[in-house]
Amino acid sequence: MTLFIQQLFNGLALGGVYCLAAIGLTLVFGVLRIPNLAHGALYMLGAYITYFFLTTVGVPYIAAIGIAAIMLFIVGVGLERLVFHPLRNSPHTHHMIAAVGAMFFFQALAQAIWGADFRRMDTPITGELRILGAEISAQRIVIIVTAVIVLALLALFIKRSIHGQTIEAIEQDRVGASLVGINPSMVSMLTLGLSALLATIAAGLVAPINLLSPTMGDALNLKVFAIIILGGLGSLPGAIVGGFALAIAETMTATYISSAVGEAVAFIVLVAVLAIKPNGLFTKAVQR
Amino acid sequence: MNSVSRSRRRRLSAAAVLGAIALTATACGGGGGSGEGDTVVIGYTGPLSGGGAAYGENVKIGLEMAIDDLNADGVEVDGNPVTLELKSLDDKYAPSTAASNAQRLADQDKAPVVVSPNAGAIKAIQQINSGRSNFLVSAYTSDPAIVQADNPLTMMIPPNFESYAEEFSETAMEHGGKKLALLGTQSEYGQQWTKSIKDAWSEAGGKIGGDNSVDYATVSDFAGPVSKALSEKPDAIFVGGPSQPTALIMEEARKQGFKGSFLVMDQAKLDEMATVTKLDNLKNSVGVLPVSEYEDPGTEDFLKKFAEKAGEKKVPTSETALNYQGIAIIAKAMEAAGTTDDPEKIREAISEALPDVDDKYKVNGFPDEITEQGHLLNPNLEATFLNEDGKYTKVPIEQVSDEK
Amino acid sequence: MNAMKNPRIIGTTAVILLLGLTPLAFAQENYAMRVITVGMCAAIAVYGLNIILGFTGQLNLAQGGFFGIGAYGVGLLTTDYDWSFWAAFVVSVIGTAVIGYLCGLIALRTKDEYFAIFTMAIGFIIFLVISRWEPVTHAHSGVNNVKFPEGGGLVDFESPVAMFYLVFAILLICVYTTYAIRRSSVGRTLLTIRTSEDLADAIGVRVGFSKQLAFAASAVFGGVGGGLYATVVGFIGPDAASIDKTFEFLMFILVGGMGTVAGPLLGSMIVTFLFELFQDFQAYRFIVLGPIIVALVIFAPRGIVGYLGGFVDKRSRRRRAEAARGADDDLDSTGASTSGGAGDHRARNLADGIESGAGRTGGTPSSEETK
Repeated sequence: MTLFIQQLFNGLALGGVYCLAAIGLTLVFGVLRIPNLAHGALYMLGAYITYFFLTTVGVPYIAAIGIAAIMLFIVGVGLERLVFHPLRNSPHTHHMIAAVGAMFFFQALAQAIWGADFRRMDTPITGELRILGAEISAQRIVIIVTAVIVLALLALFIKRSIHGQTIEAIEQDRVGASLVGINPSMVSMLTLGLSALLATIAAGLVAPINLLSPTMGDALNLKVFAIIILGGLGSLPGAIVGGFALAIAETMTATYISSAVGEAVAFIVLVAVLAIKPNGLFTKAVQR
Repeated sequence: MNSVSRSRRRRLSAAAVLGAIALTATACGGGGGSGEGDTVVIGYTGPLSGGGAAYGENVKIGLEMAIDDLNADGVEVDGNPVTLELKSLDDKYAPSTAASNAQRLADQDKAPVVVSPNAGAIKAIQQINSGRSNFLVSAYTSDPAIVQADNPLTMMIPPNFESYAEEFSETAMEHGGKKLALLGTQSEYGQQWTKSIKDAWSEAGGKIGGDNSVDYATVSDFAGPVSKALSEKPDAIFVGGPSQPTALIMEEARKQGFKGSFLVMDQAKLDEMATVTKLDNLKNSVGVLPVSEYEDPGTEDFLKKFAEKAGEKKVPTSETALNYQGIAIIAKAMEAAGTTDDPEKIREAISEALPDVDDKYKVNGFPDEITEQGHLLNPNLEATFLNEDGKYTKVPIEQVSDEK
Repeated sequence: MNAMKNPRIIGTTAVILLLGLTPLAFAQENYAMRVITVGMCAAIAVYGLNIILGFTGQLNLAQGGFFGIGAYGVGLLTTDYDWSFWAAFVVSVIGTAVIGYLCGLIALRTKDEYFAIFTMAIGFIIFLVISRWEPVTHAHSGVNNVKFPEGGGLVDFESPVAMFYLVFAILLICVYTTYAIRRSSVGRTLLTIRTSEDLADAIGVRVGFSKQLAFAASAVFGGVGGGLYATVVGFIGPDAASIDKTFEFLMFILVGGMGTVAGPLLGSMIVTFLFELFQDFQAYRFIVLGPIIVALVIFAPRGIVGYLGGFVDKRSRRRRAEAARGADDDLDSTGASTSGGAGDHRARNLADGIESGAGRTGGTPSSEETK
């Protein structure tokens, strides 16, 4: 029983990791329909820049994440301007391959600057909590809580703020939105910048429980796509449910069946769900 | 918008891009070709980008250091001074790319020797290295399947990993207890190790829990797999993959209250692991001996040169040290064979060259013989036990045969 | 029709002839022969992708997985079970067809982004099975000493030149099949689906069945390419089925030109060549290659063949304007448009399709705008 509770908490923490990583991607893929395969690379870049400010420059942890997030916002905007904007009328295939090209570039760049060696990012959040005999580190609790808060704030931002509403307007009706004077180009920049910013917050929080390397985003990349598709494109509640559900499924199958099945379970669940509900769990009325 | 001029602009840009590529193509094409005069290319194909890049870089540093030192000392083959030159290509850990790279190094750069640091790649290279193309593979892998293939042009550098299993099991059992949990990485090599440790552990009369191996490269959070392994209440845990994630797993296990001993696969180096976690988390472990603990004649100088080249912070590993030795052996074999372009003769001459290698190149357990199938054997193989005081104590290892 | 004068056919034939003659120049260069032969194996799989993506407009991301199934079928049957290459090859291809058909049954229930990610998941599951099912696939240890094809005493396939021509011959069949499909009613059906599924449905096309066939056919090509790849390289590991392979194939088809006859071949050869070329930069090559890939996608969105096709179209349009005669055998109905997200995009595609249906070729200002 202790094992079950322990793994439940581990699963929740992993779910937090997945959700944080998925948020930015949901925005871009769900709203703008750009399958940004470079998202994992942005996450990686965010981690390294946070690491740079934290370790090399020596600013406090939260400030380091903040500075890195702002820098990544600019990188995200740049990516939109240089890569995705020229492709705005192209089909997915083009975006995908362009994103792969960008990913190659970012990875090679990170390796050129920081080297190929693994690095460890220290965090001031230390200590463990004992709940019902299960052990869970404070950092992981921060991850779970932040994931939920950030998602809630994001939902609020989209519903309440002018900028957020323009994003939603574009999502609902692209032609109509431009008719009422919303500039789709501005919205695209904002969305990509925001997604890179969110990826950096995720990376700053998650990196301390693992390691930094130029390929650290790869492992997350595929799973995060599975999560947002499972939840239903563009659905923020879907991303939360999808993230936590897949993480707990993964931890539990790894515990009670085998680790190999645990690794595949995210994709097996995805295939099973889509076979029954071809548009994901939380389908919104999306324009086709 | 004037779409006609727009489409023309596009065409022009496309032409510009294509033109730029063509230009680079010609520029690069001109640079190739074999070296002039008495330059001999030593080929290297390894993972220089992607997940294995750190490993590939470590090997490369060893090769570069050896070639710099050998050129400074002067290599003389058949009365002519010879300059060695390293040519490295990236294979991203993909075997078929590695084989293409090796073929290219042998064909275009006339490299008589190609170094490769991964078993899959070496197997793919062994498909082509003795036949239409001829070149010696300097194989940095402890997988004995490489020499079991009976490839006439293979030189295997590190000891057979199966040698470690028995001594590791006994040591870990002595300091921990009878119950073992398996938490190695899900790579080819990790799985072979897991199997070998499993056999040795049961033979020594211990009990083994389920196989909890996970892919160290793709796991986002090690807490889950560690909790699962610990739920079996083990006295000892087998871990191992690249040093840094291995260190994280051990740290997590200690955090979750594990008090027993660790068996650490040879891919992970205890001193390198100490750079990402506290030494306290690593105590009570049996693993391979750090390079800095060797007492070979050249070790001290090697450590100094390594620090100059790679920086004080970087820990020298056996990937660097053993490949440093390997190139020195090959250079000496070229001298002994009196040829730089006949790989068969070079391979044959390794045996007689071994005793003549200068002491400065003996840094990490120098071999004194090469088996018929091409395995370099170091007579005094040692591993280490990192005790409660954080001191490395040596553990002698008896080597097993490479036969299946 | 006037096939002999069609610049596209002349161009494609020239590329094929040139490729067919490479052994004359490189017979002694094992490295060049190897790179070209491996590139042709990939090209075969890319022709498969061309049917489902280029013609039918469905972004199938499982192609690397099917390539892996073909490779492992041949690899395992010729080593562990000691079959002859030919028997193993035929069985692997049939096996890939069956698996492809079954995957298609479920996958094609989904659409657009869902289809892409769904097939990506299928591809990844195939990869995981191959890299984890140790007792059967030897997991990461790979399959060693895959047999050469038996020459029956007539040909020695251990010779790189003989192997080259074997792969070349099969590649030719694929090119011809692609050409034949394009010209047939099947090809037109698929192109209609690409333009608009609703439109296709409305004019009585069996959309589901046609997509299903296209998907299975693309899997078969993947299996053929994989099977040949296994025997060409002699050793295969799980990377033969990895998702990276899929993206490699996508890159090939995009650079070459989607939905064209010569595109997959040209793209495979050019990108393979680029990758080998930049090897000299080792780890840093992607700092250069990454932006090149992005630039190619942005500035030549219809691929090299589409790009060259633009010139041809312009010329033939002019000539046709002079002759003022209509009926046209449309070989290239403008590479790249798959189903897009936005409504206006969709509408443009439809318009584009109707235009080409009415006898105008691509490269017109309006279709240029949508690319």
